[in-house]
Order: sequence, then C-alpha cells, then structure tokens
Amino acid sequence: MTKITSRHYVFAGLFAVVTVSMMLNYSPDTVVSAETQKMYDFVESLPAGSTLIISFDHEASSLPEIRPLALAVLRHAFRNDIKLIGTALLSEGTGVGYRLMQQTANEFNKSYGVDYVYLGFKPQYIAAILSMGESISRTYPVDYLGKTYSEHPMLKDIDTYNDIAGVISIADGSLTTHWIEYGNARFGVRISAALTAAMVTTYDPYLSSGQLEAIVGGLRGAAEYEKLLNIGGGGKRGMLAQTASHLYVLILVIAGNVMYFRRRSSGRGNT
Amino acid sequence: MSRRLPQIVCLLFGLIMFTLYFLDHPTAKQINTLILVDYWQIIFAFTLVVGVISFIRNHVTAISRGNDRLYRLLSLFGVVLMPILALIWGIKGDSPFMWVFENVQVPLQSTVFSLLAFFVASAAFRGFHARSGPAAVLLIAAFLTILSRSSLEGLLPDFIPDIAVWVRNNPSMAARRAILIGIGLGSLTTSLRVILGIERTWLGGEK
Repeated sequence: MTKITSRHYVFAGLFAVVTVSMMLNYSPDTVVSAETQKMYDFVESLPAGSTLIISFDHEASSLPEIRPLALAVLRHAFRNDIKLIGTALLSEGTGVGYRLMQQTANEFNKSYGVDYVYLGFKPQYIAAILSMGESISRTYPVDYLGKTYSEHPMLKDIDTYNDIAGVISIADGSLTTHWIEYGNARFGVRISAALTAAMVTTYDPYLSSGQLEAIVGGLRGAAEYEKLLNIGGGGKRGMLAQTASHLYVLILVIAGNVMYFRRRSSGRGNT
Repeated sequence: MSRRLPQIVCLLFGLIMFTLYFLDHPTAKQINTLILVDYWQIIFAFTLVVGVISFIRNHVTAISRGNDRLYRLLSLFGVVLMPILALIWGIKGDSPFMWVFENVQVPLQSTVFSLLAFFVASAAFRGFHARSGPAAVLLIAAFLTILSRSSLEGLLPDFIPDIAVWVRNNPSMAARRAILIGIGLGSLTTSLRVILGIERTWLGGEK
C-alpha cells in the first residue's frame, strides 16, 4: 500500500478548499482592472451593425476558463448589435465555438446568417490568417453548416479584413501571436484577445506596443467583464474558489518556507 | 538527388512566399491565395496521413511487446471509432461525434489539465523556497502577483496590487520582450538556413 506523504495531504487540502468554496453560494466583489475596462470600451466603441471576427483558438482542456470569458465577450457583442463571424484556428475549438455562439445568439434572439455566421475550422493557422486577408470567401467557400458563403446576407459586403472592425481571438496558447504577426502586421486589422490567465503576461509587450488592442484574461477577467455587463456568469461564480485556492497555495508556500528555514537552522538540510 | 530535389523545392517556395508577402499586385495576390488556400492545405492533409500512420504503427508495436496494452488498445479504438462516427453521421450539431467530443474528450482533457493545480500546490509547498537572494525576489513577486489576481479587494492594502502591476509592466515585460526578440531573430536565422540549404537536418539527420 502506498504510504501517505505530505503531498497527499496537500492534494486533499486543495480538493477540500475548492469543493467547499464551490458549494458556498457566495461571489466576492471584483474591482475592474484597467485592461478589462479597455476591452469593454473597445467593444462598446464599435457602432451597431459593425462586424467582428471571433476566433476560437483554444483546446478543449481550457474550456472551464475559456467558456466564461467567451460567453461574456459574445454577450457584450450581441447586446450591442454587433454582427459576428465565428472561426476556429484549432480543430478542438470548432465545435465549442459553434455551441457558444449558438447559445448566446439564442439568448439575444439573433438569426444565423443575418446577425452571425460560423465559418468553422481552417487547418494551418498562418495560412488561414493570411488567406483571409486576401479573401475570406475564398478561404471559407462554405460555412460550418455547409452553406455557401454568398448565401448569408450579412456576408454580402464582407471579403477582407478591411470590411470588418476587428478580430477577437479567444485563446489558451500562442495563436493570438499569429493574429498579431500576420493579421495586424500584414493587413492592419485590429486584434484583441480573451486569454487564459497563464497566457496574459505573454501578450503584455504586444498590448504595450499597441499591436494588440485589448486583453481580458483568466477567470478574474471574466468576472470583471461580467461585472461591467451587470450580469452573472461562470467568472463571478468561480472567483471564490479561485481566491480560496490562491490563498491555500500562499499558505503552503509560507509553511514550506518555515519548515525549510527551521530545517536549515537545525543543520538538517541546506538545499 | 534525393536530397537535392527537396532542397531546391524548399529554396524556390521560400523565396516565392517571401516575395509574395510584400507584393500588392493582383496576380501576386492570386498566386498567394492559391498557395495558401489550396497547396498548403493539401500538404497539411498529407502530414495528417503521416501522423495517423505513425500513431498506429507506434501503438501496434507497443501492443505486440505488451507495453501498456489496455491504454494503447483504447487509443487505437478511438482512432478507428471517431472517423466511422464522422463518416456516418457527420461532425456537426448533435451528431454522435460531437457527443463523444463534448462528453468524453472535453471532460477528460479538462480533468488532466486541472490536475496541474494539484501539482502546483504540491510544488509550492515542497520546492518554492527562498534558498538565495534571487529565489527570494521571485518568491515575493509571485506572492504579490497571486494576491493581486485574487478577489481580496478591501482586505489588501492598495500598494500590493500596484506593486504587482509594476512587476508585470516592468521587469516581467522587459524579460518577455527580450525573449520575443530572441525568438524572432532565432526564427529568422533558422528559416534562412533552411531556405538556403545550410540547415539540412529536416532531410534526415545530416548536419
């Protein structure tokens, strides 16, 4: 039988912290950060009827964090009567993206083909971004549902990035970089991103240089965005569990250091 | 000749794509779109075939040797089953393919990903110690950043989020910029070496 070690207690503790916090029906208040406000202001600044590309550039593994972010951004766009074109640069994001767009569109009584279209997945992300800059209709002759590009009234006057207001990449990795390096640098399209928390600092230089319009990041970003929209959602719901687990990790760090220095002062270990 | 031909193709297409990137002429645009939309996708389809064959061969070999037989059989079963579901009922909407994706793959991947939190907690306890000056600085920066990303407004002094923002916008961003510039220069030199035929390891191991 496996001997129970300190690691197992740490695992059990984290499980208990997350489970109990999820069971409590309480959401801590969140102050909106400047970067989330910027993202909100960007979407808010777009006139009704303008078109955004929402690109689902994530894998299935990050869905618990991506879903609240994506829903908040989609709800904001639909609420402001912005027309949406859905794409996916990773195959795993394709089905997820369609479901999220469909769900949000139903909430706001939006019609497929008129208010939103889902073009789906295109392999080879760099090629997809570059060729959409030349011609979106040529890159996606048919949409995710198998309908031809020209069938959709909202796509009638849209064929390149010049015809859209920007791209919001919902990503858990480096794919937003390609939107910046090819979409923005080559074609000048405005790029924003909804990112998992782990990826936010990766994009700070792009945000600072203005190559990236705005960022909303992580579960906290989702909670802040929901607050700005004055709605509930997965971000707000998950903040207590995230805060509790962060505090738990901090307590572990302190405990680990106390034990380490005690061991070192007693001469039982210096590494 | 078996090496020379791929090298010539690589050089040719490297130069063509490089040139097309900067041209605005309609013909150049047409060629660019043709290569990006059609040819690149055909190459991608072949890489998928290579990947699938390699995956099956690897698993069949491992199964015949008795290594992780059950898991590998399950993986192979998935590789065979999913295309069958896709071919019969399609991959969209409420198809069985999407059901398996949403109810098997998504929860499995999310679970594996979330296990990271447990390992991070364990690593924080066992390994994140202020063993030296730089380690102590890293520890304090991480401490403040975690605090600032939690919903503890009202409980924390105002300067803590301010310090976390400063760390992110100054030392962290400087390091990121340096890494990005390094990656950019590295990619540029590697691409040039491949296009010019100086780097030939991609042809099968020769330096």
